[in-house]
Amino acid sequence: MRFADRAAPALLITLTLFVFVLLYGPLMVPIVSSFFTVSHGAVDWSQPTTSAYVALTQNDSVLSALWTTLIVGAGAVVLSVALGTGLALYYASPNAKGRNFLQFIIFLPFLMPPIITGLALLIFFRQVEFERSLLTIIIGHTVFVLALVYRTILTRLQSLSGSLVEASYDLGASSWQTFRLVLLPNLSSAMVGAAILAFALSFDETMITLLVTGTQSTLPVRLWAMMRLGFTPDINALVALVLLFTTVLCLVAVRYLMPASAVAGSDDN
Amino acid sequence: MSERAAPAGPGALAPWLATIAAYVVPLGFVLTPMALFLVYSFFSVDHGSIVFSPTIANYVRFFTDPVFLPIFWRTCLLCFTVALLCVLFAFPVAYFLTTLRGRSRYMLLVLLLVPLLMSYVIKIYAVRSILGGNGMLNRALLATGLIDKPSMLFVFNLNAVLLTLTVLLIPFAVLPIFLSLERIPKALRHASADLGATNAQTFWRVTVPLSLPGTLSAMSFVFVLAIGDFLTPQLVGGQSGFTFGRIIYSQFGTAFNWPFGAALSVILAAVVILAIRLGGRLESKHGGAK
Repeated sequence: MRFADRAAPALLITLTLFVFVLLYGPLMVPIVSSFFTVSHGAVDWSQPTTSAYVALTQNDSVLSALWTTLIVGAGAVVLSVALGTGLALYYASPNAKGRNFLQFIIFLPFLMPPIITGLALLIFFRQVEFERSLLTIIIGHTVFVLALVYRTILTRLQSLSGSLVEASYDLGASSWQTFRLVLLPNLSSAMVGAAILAFALSFDETMITLLVTGTQSTLPVRLWAMMRLGFTPDINALVALVLLFTTVLCLVAVRYLMPASAVAGSDDN
Repeated sequence: MSERAAPAGPGALAPWLATIAAYVVPLGFVLTPMALFLVYSFFSVDHGSIVFSPTIANYVRFFTDPVFLPIFWRTCLLCFTVALLCVLFAFPVAYFLTTLRGRSRYMLLVLLLVPLLMSYVIKIYAVRSILGGNGMLNRALLATGLIDKPSMLFVFNLNAVLLTLTVLLIPFAVLPIFLSLERIPKALRHASADLGATNAQTFWRVTVPLSLPGTLSAMSFVFVLAIGDFLTPQLVGGQSGFTFGRIIYSQFGTAFNWPFGAALSVILAAVVILAIRLGGRLESKHGGAK
């Protein structure tokens, strides 16, 4: 047993390291290959080059896909944060009717596989004869990210003390003033964090987009189409840039959403 | 929050307007499409156009056709294996995290979760570049002399799908297990040690049983994510790696049979609901550490 007690931590560290290699190792391959020429499966280490990145700036289909992705992301963020805030306020209000049912519907697209959400929307758009376009992608993304945005904002709302709102009313504020001057400032960091998360999810969303898109393709859909044809240096460059961007995005979101206690280092073990 | 006094709305109309406003989008863009696709599963297709008269032919076809059921079971088994592998990897990692203190614990947790928000398609692409016939894995195996010619065991088949999904979904398993391990009061472990249990005994008879709810919900989580995926099998599965998700997707593309695709999705939804309930049900049965 003494031996086991000493061997166990070493085993745990080894396994954790292995999982980190599994998670991050594969991502290194496209990043490294984006800077070096690869021929016949062997990397030429002697000459680092940025030619792949230069080629990327001249690739119109990638640039237009990037533009589409940004528009869709912005649309989905605005819609989902506005809706999510409204729904969270409604859920927390005493007049809410059937709040658990409403919450269930909001969570549905997040619980169900994206393929189901995507094709349900596809059938819906066809049935109401709504032409598939940029707007259908935005609607699809909004419905998908709404659950997370709503939940994030509701959690913050419920952590606020009820006496804040009561004090506001006691001081003669209207409900609009209470919302704007008391609730909104308290919710804003949760809203920003939720917006960043929503953007990151939308930026990456592929399965719903593939189903509800018309002729436009977002960056992941474009990448998906390119990857099916094989490996090229400019895909690797694009992959490297997207990875860098999403990592920065995540770290920013974490700063906004992580509870202060966790950052300060709550220590209970 | 819910106990707070009602805002003095302008008249009795305001609450109703708020209710209507709150329900418009969830009902219009979530529930209606979901209901519609359920209805579609009872339609049929004739010469490329949809026949709007109710029939259960799609479901009969799924249960009688020799093609679909085997793929369905194979996919379920595949996703169950993925869930099992993910938990086997995630448990030691989550446990290791709980042994860390303060800031480093959360930094490491964030590092484990960051890949979740990284582009899914890119991760598949990255793993594929390692798995290929001429990929890193094969070349590493060749270099070590374990094999003398490139192995085709994990190139464009179900094994490749299995490995890729496992690598992609491990972070999803870490979080629920970590949360359930973190909730176990340290007093329980101290009590166990005071009563003379060794560390190993405490681990197997206190920690593992109490973390079971998190482990099970991690499994159902991974299973649900794996079974709904059609991108991974499409990109690394090749000709033989056909999965249920791919078949559904093909009904909306090449096969162009939307009602049949809808019926298959209803079956997928049923499996997903079952998996979620199983994960949650067992969780409530074991109670979890309070």
